[in-house]
Amino acid sequence: MNIQDNYLKNKKNIFFSENKDIQTHREKLINIFENDRFDKKNNESLKNINLKNFIDFNYKYLIPEETSVINNNHENSYSIVSVNGQCSSFKDDKIEITKILDEDYNDFSKNDTIENNDHFVNLNSLFLNSGFKIVIKKNNNIKIRISNIITDDDLTIFQKNNYICEDGSSLNLIEEYENKNNSTSNILNVIKLEKNSQINHFLIQDNSPNHNLIITTHSSCKKDSTYIQKVYNFSEGYVRNFHYSELIEANSEADLQGIFFLKDNNTSNNKTFVKHLAEDCKSNQVYKGILKDRSKATYFSNTHVDQVAQKTEGYQLSKGILLSDNASYFSKPELKIYADDVKCSHGSTIGPIDENAIFYLRSRGMSKIAATKILISSFINEELNSIDNEQMSEIIQKKLVRYLSKVK
Amino acid sequence: MFLEIKDLSVKIENKNILKSLNLNINKGEVHAIMGPNGSGKSTLANVLAGKEDYEILNGRINFKDNNLFDLNIEERAQEGMFLAFQYPVEIPGVNITPFLHSAINSKRKRMSEEEIDNLSFAKLLKSKASDLGINIDMLKRSVNTGFSGGEKKRYEILQMSILNPDLAILDETDSGLDIDALKIVTDGVNKLKTKDNSFLIITHYQKLLDYIKPDYVHVMVNGSIVKSGGYEIAAEIEKDGFQKFQ
Ligand SMILES: Nc1ncnc2c1ncn2[C@@H]1O[C@H](COP(=O)(O)OP(=O)(O)O)[C@@H](O)[C@H]1O
Ligand SMILES: [Mg+2]
Repeated sequence: MNIQDNYLKNKKNIFFSENKDIQTHREKLINIFENDRFDKKNNESLKNINLKNFIDFNYKYLIPEETSVINNNHENSYSIVSVNGQCSSFKDDKIEITKILDEDYNDFSKNDTIENNDHFVNLNSLFLNSGFKIVIKKNNNIKIRISNIITDDDLTIFQKNNYICEDGSSLNLIEEYENKNNSTSNILNVIKLEKNSQINHFLIQDNSPNHNLIITTHSSCKKDSTYIQKVYNFSEGYVRNFHYSELIEANSEADLQGIFFLKDNNTSNNKTFVKHLAEDCKSNQVYKGILKDRSKATYFSNTHVDQVAQKTEGYQLSKGILLSDNASYFSKPELKIYADDVKCSHGSTIGPIDENAIFYLRSRGMSKIAATKILISSFINEELNSIDNEQMSEIIQKKLVRYLSKVK
Repeated sequence: MFLEIKDLSVKIENKNILKSLNLNINKGEVHAIMGPNGSGKSTLANVLAGKEDYEILNGRINFKDNNLFDLNIEERAQEGMFLAFQYPVEIPGVNITPFLHSAINSKRKRMSEEEIDNLSFAKLLKSKASDLGINIDMLKRSVNTGFSGGEKKRYEILQMSILNPDLAILDETDSGLDIDALKIVTDGVNKLKTKDNSFLIITHYQKLLDYIKPDYVHVMVNGSIVKSGGYEIAAEIEKDGFQKFQ
C-alpha cells in the first residue's frame, strides 16, 4: 500500500491527525515518499537497507488495555513498563511523566532539524501513535529503568519520547528492548539537557529475528551538560541506531558508544551526526562490532565543528572483528572542521581476528575456540569493565556468554 | 626417540625455507641450534609448535611416539611442547593470570591430572615469578602488552616454568636481555632441567650457551643443518662467525 493510502486509512489511530498544521506538514512528507524523491547516493539513512520493506508496510496499532506501571522503587529510582510505546502519566516532586496529549502537540510534531535527511524520522512523524514525555526537575538525581513491551504480532509502533533534564539534574536511564514477536518499532527520542545536567543513557537491545528496531536519538546539550549513550546490541533482528547530537552551549559533552554482536544474516546500521556549535565542547565516539556468518554493519559518522566552536575535542573510533569471510563492517568517519583551534581525530581498525594472538594462546595449550572467545572478550573488555552498574553488567555478561556459545 | 625430525622440507609463500632437515633429540638432552639470520631457525620452531602458515613439502616429525602432524597446536602444547617466542605477541585485554591458569589446566586435563584451583595457582605463579625477578604487578597486566623486550623474554620463561614442558624450544630468548637478566633467565632454565625433559635452544650468540651447557650444538645454514658437534662448535662460531659453514 502506498504511504498516502496507508496514512488515510489509519488516520484515526495516528496522533494529531485532526490538527491543521500537522496535516499540512504531513502532506509535505507524504509527497516526498510518493514521488520517490530519495537521493540514495548521498543519504546514509538509505544505505544497506531495503527501504521498500519499510515504506510498503501494513500499519497496525493496538492501544494497550493497561498502560504502564510506574514504580517508585526506592528513593529516586523508577521503573516503567512501556506497552506498545505508551506509558501512563505520573508526577511527584522530582519527575513528571506524561503520555502524549493533544495540547502539547508542538512538542511532538516538530522534528525539523533531522526530518530532511532521515526518512525513518519522516515515517515516525507521519504515523506517530505512541510516546511520552519525561521531565526531570531541577537539581535531582534520578534513576529510571524502562522495559519496552509489544503485546501483539505485526504491530507497527511509531513512538516519540521527549526527555528534559532540567538544570543541575542527573538521570541514569536504562532501556531494555527484548521483543520476541514479529513487529516493528520506530522510536524517536528527543533529549534536552539543560545547564549543568547529565544523562547516562544505556540501551540494551536483544530482539528476536523478526523484530525490527529503529531508534533515532536527537540530543542537545546546553552549558556544562553531558550526554552519554551506550548501546549494547545483541539483537537477532534488524537494528538501526542513529544519533543526532548538538552541542549548543559551551563546555558540553557527548559521549557515544555502541557495541554490537551480530550473527546469521543480521544487519546493524549505525550513524552519528555530531554538531559542535559552541566552544570548549567534547565529543567522543566508539563503535565496536563483532560479526559472524553473513552479518553486516555500517557506521557512518559525521562530526561537524562550527567556526565558533574553538577548543573542540572530537574523537571517532570504529573497531570490528570479522569472524567470517562473509561478514562485513563498513565504517566511514567524516570530519568537517570550520574552526582553527581544535583537536579531532578518527580511526578505524576492522579485520579478522589476530591469527598471531590465536597461535600464541593455543601454543600454551588453550583450544582454538577458547582462544577465540578470550580474544573477543578482550576486544570489548574496556567497555564492559566501565559499566559501573552491577546488575546491568551481569545482564550484559550473560548475553555475551550466549553470543560466545555460538562462536565456533 | 623423544623428538625425531626426518628429511623435513618446508615452504612458505613459494619460498623453500627448510631443506631436508634432520635432527634427533633424546630425553634429558640440551641441543643448541646456531645459525645466521634468515637461515630458518624460527621457521623450524614454528613448525614444531604447529603454526599453520607453512606448507610441509616432505618429511616427518615424531614427538613422544606421536606423529606430530596429527596433533594440532594446543594438543602439542598439552603433550608437553613449549615454544618461547622470539617475538612474543602482545594481547591487550587478556589478563596474564587467568590465561596461564586456564592453559595449565587444559594441559592437566589431557594428562588426566587434577585441575589446579585458583588459590594454589596464584601461589605457584607468585613463587615462580619471584624466582625470575618478575614484579608481582606485572601479573595483573595484559599478556605482553607494553612490556619491554627483556620483560617479554622473562615472561616467556615464567610461562615455561609454570607449564613445565617435556620439550622446551627457546627461540632467541637471549636477544634483548642484558647480562643480569640473562643470568636470571638461564637460572630459570637450569632449575627446570631434569633427566626427563629436553631443550632446543636457538641462538646466534655463544653467551647463552656459557650459562646453559648444551650437549649438542648444530649449525643451521640456509634451511639445513650443516654441522653437528659439541660445545666447541659454539666457540668456533664465536671466533670466526658463520662464514666457513656457508
Ligand atoms: N611469513 C613469511 N613469508 C615469507 N617469507 C618468510 C616468512 N617467514 C619467514 N620468511 C623467510 O624465511 C626465511 C627464514 O626465516 P626465519 O625462520 O625467521 O629465520 P631465522 O629465525 O633463522 O632468522 C627468511 O628468509 C624469511 O624472510
Ligand atoms: Mg628467528
